[in-house]
Amino acid sequence: MSTPYPTPGGPTVFDPMTLPADDNVNAYTFCVELKGSQWFLQKGKMIAYYGTIDFNGIGHGRLDRLVRTSFHSPLHASDWVVAEGSGKMLLADRAFDVNSYDLEDGNLTIRSGNLLAFQPTLALKQSIVPGFLTLIGTGKFVAASNGPVVFMEPPIRVDPQALVGWADCPSPCHHYDHGYMTGVMGGLRAMTGLGGASGEEHQFEFVGAGTVLLQSSETLMAEQATGAVPQQAGVPGAGGAHSTQGPQSGVPRLPGQLGDLQRRFGL
Amino acid sequence: MFRLQGSKVLAVDMTGDSVKAKNGSMVAYDGQMAFKKLTGGGEGLRGMVTRRLTGEQMTLMEVRGQGTCWFADRASEINLVNLQGDKLYVESSNLLATDGGLRTGTTFTGLRGASQGNGLFTTTIEGHGQAAIMSDGPAVVLRVSAQYPLTVDPGAYIAHQGNLRQSFQSGVTFRTLLGEGGGEAFQIRFEGDGLVYVQPSERNTIAGDV
Repeated sequence: MSTPYPTPGGPTVFDPMTLPADDNVNAYTFCVELKGSQWFLQKGKMIAYYGTIDFNGIGHGRLDRLVRTSFHSPLHASDWVVAEGSGKMLLADRAFDVNSYDLEDGNLTIRSGNLLAFQPTLALKQSIVPGFLTLIGTGKFVAASNGPVVFMEPPIRVDPQALVGWADCPSPCHHYDHGYMTGVMGGLRAMTGLGGASGEEHQFEFVGAGTVLLQSSETLMAEQATGAVPQQAGVPGAGGAHSTQGPQSGVPRLPGQLGDLQRRFGL
Repeated sequence: MFRLQGSKVLAVDMTGDSVKAKNGSMVAYDGQMAFKKLTGGGEGLRGMVTRRLTGEQMTLMEVRGQGTCWFADRASEINLVNLQGDKLYVESSNLLATDGGLRTGTTFTGLRGASQGNGLFTTTIEGHGQAAIMSDGPAVVLRVSAQYPLTVDPGAYIAHQGNLRQSFQSGVTFRTLLGEGGGEAFQIRFEGDGLVYVQPSERNTIAGDV
């Protein structure tokens, strides 16, 4: 084959042979190899692909069985698609750092906006902690972060904005410094996780065995609504009590709901 | 001679020759430089009218002199492209600088532009020399050949070069309207022989959320 456009000293040119399989192309782009297999990915994160790959929304009848076994967050199914086929596919998210992680019969809880894609051998579930998702099982997933991710060992207290996720830690909890909860403003700050005099009065605390993932920046990635949980006594986050968390988080969204058209078209 | 200093600053060494660069993108220079605004991107009256009509606006300046001139724009990543008589197609908003000897023009892109919100027209650069294009995050360069056609998300596309045919694919079905779309409803398929530049980020497009 002729190569009419060599760029000596220029950028590396990739083709399907030289693209890595299930690995990073650079710090911001991840390449997934599909061989008749399937991957779940967040809508709109595919930037290019070689080969034949179909993208089907979750709710597509044929995928029902797959969704039943590895997707347990029916209320935000409309944000996810299943890629299926053979070829190589590039994933990226707003020029944030992306990395893949392997889980082996493990569990990892991650901020919903950071998760880009995962193998169906993992099961995705809504976390009891509002705004987080938990992956359980064996397989690979891809997550984005604002700046490279650092891994820390508990016991540790972390800034809420820097937290990406955690694995195995049994006890994620809030930690407040003195006087933080007094007064109306204190309560408001506690609800939103923002504000405060120095901005460091409130942390998340982790103890026990496990790993905590932090991003090296306090700039949060845009929250992805995780969907409302059933309104039931004893379910944290139910009943719209945390409606300050995001524009959509108070609204239950079912796949196929027509009321969602507006958001779907980016209006 | 174009070279990158880091990934976000372009350094151009000049010996009396000239480069065309995006207006106001000079950050520093060393030596003797003259900056001249090129009305209509140096494409003459016809080019000016075409750009006005097509909305593919581009304000370029001509830099001529002896020494080194550095260019940068909003901390965007910069990618160098070598042209050997072939044509580079790039969005005018992604073009930072070209060799003075390269010809720039406007061309019809078809539906791809419309789905990106970038208009129906794009900028072409032709000749022998170097060009610098900008991207949000370092661009990935993908080769398209006869046996390996490539499909690209319109929001991540920034440029392509070579002998490529592009076709627009729309996967909008009744499922999209029901809210069960595949999330990648609009795609551009490249076939032929050439290179495609994609950025690891998607511009906000209508297509992005469908």
